[in-house]
Amino acid sequence: MSEDARVGVFVCRCGSNIGGFVDVPEVVECAKALKDVVFAEEGKWSCSVDYLAHMQECVKEHNLNRVVIASCTPRTHEPLFKRTVREAGLNPYLLEFVSIREQVSWVHMDDREAATEKAKDLVKMGVAKARLLEEGEEIRLPVKTDSLIIGGGIAGMTAALSLADQGFNVTIVEREARLGGLLNKIGRVWNNGSEFPADELVKARAERLYNHPHIKVYTNAAIDTIEGYIGNYKVTVKSNGSIEAFDASTVIVATGMQEIEPVGQYGYGDDARVVTQLDLEGLLKNNALDNVKDAVVINCVNSMNESRGCCNIGCGISVKNAVALKGLNQDIHVHILYRDLCMVKDERGNVERAKRAGIKFIRFPDDRYPEVSRENDRLAVKVYDVLLAREFSIPADLLVLTTGFQGDSSVEQIKGQLKVSANAEGFFQEAHIKLGPLDFPADGIFLCGGARSPKNIREACEEAIGAGMRASIPMKRGYIEAEGIVADIDPGACNGCGLCAKNCPYGAIRMADEKPTVVKALCKGCGLCAADCPTNTITIIHYSDEQILAQIEAALEERPEEKIIGFVCHWCCLGAADMAGVSRLQYPPHGRLIRVMCSARVASQFVLSAFELGAAGVLVGGCEFPTCHYIVGNYKAENRMERVKKTLARKGYDPERLWVLWCSAADGPKFANTMREMVKRLNLK
Amino acid sequence: MPEAILIVGGGVAGISAALNAADYGSKVYLLDDTASIGGMMARLDKTFPTNDCSICIESPLMYEADNHPNIEILTNTEIRRVNKTNSTFTVRLVKKAKYIDEEKCTGCGACVEACPASVPDELDGKIGGMRKLISMAFPQAVPSVSVVDPRCRYGKMREQHACIGECVVDCSQCRECPIALCVKACKEEGKDAVVLWQADKRIDIEVKSIIVATGIRPAEPDTGLYGYDIFENVITNIQFERLMNAGGPTGGQIIRPSDKNHVKKIAWIQCVGRGLKEGLPYCSKVCCMIAAKQTIITKEHDRSVETVIFHNDLKAYGKGFWEFYRKALQSGVRYIKGRPFDVFEDPGTKNLTVRYEDLDTGEIQEEEVELLVLSMGLVPNDRNKRLAKVLGIELNEHGFFREKGTLLAPLETSVEGIYLCGGATGPIDISESVIQASAASLKAVLK
Repeated sequence: MSEDARVGVFVCRCGSNIGGFVDVPEVVECAKALKDVVFAEEGKWSCSVDYLAHMQECVKEHNLNRVVIASCTPRTHEPLFKRTVREAGLNPYLLEFVSIREQVSWVHMDDREAATEKAKDLVKMGVAKARLLEEGEEIRLPVKTDSLIIGGGIAGMTAALSLADQGFNVTIVEREARLGGLLNKIGRVWNNGSEFPADELVKARAERLYNHPHIKVYTNAAIDTIEGYIGNYKVTVKSNGSIEAFDASTVIVATGMQEIEPVGQYGYGDDARVVTQLDLEGLLKNNALDNVKDAVVINCVNSMNESRGCCNIGCGISVKNAVALKGLNQDIHVHILYRDLCMVKDERGNVERAKRAGIKFIRFPDDRYPEVSRENDRLAVKVYDVLLAREFSIPADLLVLTTGFQGDSSVEQIKGQLKVSANAEGFFQEAHIKLGPLDFPADGIFLCGGARSPKNIREACEEAIGAGMRASIPMKRGYIEAEGIVADIDPGACNGCGLCAKNCPYGAIRMADEKPTVVKALCKGCGLCAADCPTNTITIIHYSDEQILAQIEAALEERPEEKIIGFVCHWCCLGAADMAGVSRLQYPPHGRLIRVMCSARVASQFVLSAFELGAAGVLVGGCEFPTCHYIVGNYKAENRMERVKKTLARKGYDPERLWVLWCSAADGPKFANTMREMVKRLNLK
Repeated sequence: MPEAILIVGGGVAGISAALNAADYGSKVYLLDDTASIGGMMARLDKTFPTNDCSICIESPLMYEADNHPNIEILTNTEIRRVNKTNSTFTVRLVKKAKYIDEEKCTGCGACVEACPASVPDELDGKIGGMRKLISMAFPQAVPSVSVVDPRCRYGKMREQHACIGECVVDCSQCRECPIALCVKACKEEGKDAVVLWQADKRIDIEVKSIIVATGIRPAEPDTGLYGYDIFENVITNIQFERLMNAGGPTGGQIIRPSDKNHVKKIAWIQCVGRGLKEGLPYCSKVCCMIAAKQTIITKEHDRSVETVIFHNDLKAYGKGFWEFYRKALQSGVRYIKGRPFDVFEDPGTKNLTVRYEDLDTGEIQEEEVELLVLSMGLVPNDRNKRLAKVLGIELNEHGFFREKGTLLAPLETSVEGIYLCGGATGPIDISESVIQASAASLKAVLK
C-alpha cells in the first residue's frame, strides 16, 4: 500500500475484566504517542453491537487505514472484528489483534503496574506490526464439476453414484475387468439379521453405474499419469491397451484392500485343505465343498503381533462363514479358534447365532497359537483352551485361516502419482485420523473404504458417501478459498534449491524450470517454507519477516533484559495461554507473546535478533507431539530450534535462554508453569 | 420446499454435519439441548490413538460453526413437535430460558465470580467438581455466555445462601430481582444481561430434512457394582477422564476422592457395562482404547504410577489402535486377562483390593490399588425415546435409533428426510462419527 499508514487503536476495558487490572487510559495515551497512530481511545465493551458501529464511524471519520484492537483473544473474537472493519470499507487484513485480557489482565491481577506496562508493550508491538500490514485477500481457485474415482469396488461405486446423482461428471477407473472389487469373490453378505448374495449388491450398483449419464467407466484400467491439483488435474488412463486423457477437479481414492496370503503357514499353499477366508468364500460361492466333515477356523493369523494389529473384520467374517458351513450340512463340525473375539457393536448377536447353530468356540492364549499336524491323511489341530485350561486335538479336513488385510498392491504407485503417503501396511494416511478421516492433507483428494484401513461393507459405504460429500463441497461451490495468509515467492532472488517445494506438507509449491511457484489456494500459511528458505525470498502475507521483526523490536525497546519474547502458534500454545487466562492462573508478567500460525514459522533469524536486542529469554511454543495443525510444523520447529541453540552458543549467547514448549490448547497450567520456571531460571525479578 | 436443514445435537457429529452442509451451501439450524455445542468430546481430555487434546481440535470447529454465515446455532433448545407435509418438516422448537440476554452477554464471567452459591457439577460432581449457580458450560463454550441454573430462581436456594435479600415478598411479585449479586455484577460491568425472569421462547422453523445427532452417554454403574457409590475411590472411566483433564475439577491432577492425594497405583476393570443389571448385550468398542489412553496419560503425568488393566477381550479395532495398545504396554501398563469378581475396601487406607481369576493361570489372585476405575460402556441417551416419538422414527432393541437398512440405506430412517449419524446409531468413536456426519449431511442436503 503506497499511502501512509494511519493507525487507529481501540483499547477495550471489557467492563472491569481489563479495566479493573490495567490502567487503560495510560495504555491509550501510550498508543497515541506511537508513530503513525492518528487515533486511540478506550471502549467499555468493544464487542458490543453499538461499539462496533462506533468503531466503523471512527474508521471513516479519521480516515484510518490500519486498526489495532487490544482486547480479549483472536482465537474467539478475530472473525467479529475482521467483519467489522470490512463493513467499514477496510481490508480485513489491515486489522491487528492484541490480546490484553487473556495475556495480561486475567493473569497479572495483583500487579497493576506491571500489567499496564505489559499491555502498553503489547499495543506497541501491535502498532509496529500494523504499520507494516498490507492488504490481503481470500484467494479463490475455480473448481469444475468432474471427479476421478480410483477403484471400482463397493466404496468406489457408492462414491461415484453419490457424486453423479448430483449431476457431477464421474470417471471411474477399475483395474479388473468388472466392477465390484472384493465383493466379486464373496458369497453372501450379512446385513442386520438378513442376508443376500454379494453378487446382487454388485449387480445393482454396477447396472446403475453403467447406465448413468454422468458416469464413465474404465475397466482393465490403471492411472498412467496424473498431474496437477484441485480444480486442475490432468489425467491419463491406460485401459485395454489404449491411453486416454481427461481432466478432473477432484479425486477420490477407493483402491481397497487385499487379503494377506499366509504362505507357508499351517501348510497353506502346499495343502489344498488349508484355505483362507477369501478362498472359503469362493468355495462356498461355487458349491465346491462336498466332503467336509470337520472344519477348523484359526483366527488372528498374521494379526495382533509385533508387526501388525487387529485386522478389524476377521472375527466377523469367521463367524459368518462358519455359519455358512453349518448351513451346507448340519453334521459338519465347525470349531472357531480365537484369541479375542472382536465382534463389536451389534455383531455380538452374530456370535449367539453361531453358537445356536452348534459352532464351537475355543479361546487360545495370545502366545500359544494352535499347531497343525498331519495324521493318516487327516489334519489334526492341537489347541490349548484357555477357559478349560486343557489341550485338545481336533481333527480337520478343512482348515480355514483368518488372515489380515493390507493395502492394495497399487498403493505404492498411486502414492507417488498423487504425492500422498501411506503407512507400512499399505493404507493411505488421512489428513487427521479423528477430524479429517476422509480427506488427504492436500485439498481436493479424498479417500474411503479399504484404502484407509480394513472395512466391512457397511463402513465402506458410509465412508464412500462421506467422501462423496467432501468432494462435492468444492464442486458445488465452484471454487475453493484460502485465507489471505499465504506464501509469496520472489522469483528474482530465488536460487531454485527446491527445499520449499519438498517440504510443503500440502503440495502447494510447485517447481517448474527450477523455480518454485505457490498455488496460493492450496497454501495454508504455516510459514515453514519461509522460515527455512536459505535466500529469504519467501514472504508470508500477514506474518512477514519485516512485521515480526518490528514486533520484536517494539517489545524490546525498553528494558529488554527483563523481557521474554514468546513465539506461540495460534492453535495450541496461544490456546494454552488463553486457557491460563480463562482459568485466572497468575504468572510473572515478563512474557511478550508474538502470534504465528505455526511454530514452523519461527525462523532462526527471529530468535537471534531477539537475543541481539537484549532479550532475557525466548520461548518457542507449538502443538504437542505427535500432532500439529499443519501436520509436521512442530517437528520442523523442534529441529530448527536445536540448530539455533548451537548457533547461539557459537555467537556467545547462553543456549539455555532459548526455551521450547509443546503443549495442547487445554494446557493452561503448563503454559503458566513454563513462564514461572523461565523467570526463575533466567533470574528475572 | 424449504432449503434449510435441521441438525439435532451439537456434539462433534452434529457440528461436522453442520459444517459440511453449510459449506455445501445449505442453511443449517444446529440444535443442542444443553447450554453449549461441543457435546461429549468437549469434556474429554485426550483422544486416542494420537492423544490429541480433545477440546483443542474440537474448539476450532465450534468457532467455525459459530461464525459460519449459513449456520444458526440454537442452544438450550428442544424439539417439541414435528409435522411433515409433502417434503417439508414444520418443527416447533422451544428455547429454554438461560435467564441471560445472549445478545448482551460477553461471557466475561463477572456474574460467575459474584455468585455466592456453588452446587455439584452434573458431570464432575462425584469427583468434587463444583460450579456456581450461574456459570459457563465450560471455558470454550459456544455461544460464550453464562447460564443461570433455574434452581436459583424463586428463592429456592435461599437456604444455600444463593439469595442474599431478606425479602418479605415472594419472588414472583417482583418479577425482577435487582439485588441478586449476578444481576448487580453485570450491571456494574455496564451490561444488563442477566434476566432472571426470561421466558422460554417458541421458535417455528421449516426444513427439508433432519439429521439426528443426539449422541450417546456413558453408562452409570449400579450402586454396589465393584463397590461403586459405596467405596469412595471407585470411579468411572469418564470421571477419571475429567480428573486427567486440565480443564476438569482437579486441574488435571490425578488425585483420589477420599483424601485428595496423588495416587501411586490405579486399576481399570474393563467390560463393566456387561455386568449391569440390564447388562449391555453389545460391545461398546471404545472402552479398551479409552483405558489404554488413560494409562498412557497417567504415565505421562507421573512415570512412577503403577497401572493395571483387568480385561477379557481386547478390542484394538480401528486404524492405529493396535499400535496404541502396544504403546500402553511399552509405557509399563500391566494387562491382566481376568475378570474381577469382588472388591473390598480397607477402611483405614481406603485402598481397594480387587479379587480376580487370572484367566491365563486359572488362579485366584488379589491386587491392592489406591484408585479403581470402572470402564463403562456407552448407552443410548435418555431422551432418545421421547425424540423418536416426536420424530416418528423407531428405536432398535438397545434404544438407539433404528436404521432402515444398514447396508443398502445406511443412516436412513423409516421416515424419508430424517437421517442419523454418530452416537444416535450406536456406540461409536469420534472418527466414525465424523465419517457418518459427512455421509448423513450429503443425504440431508440432497433431499
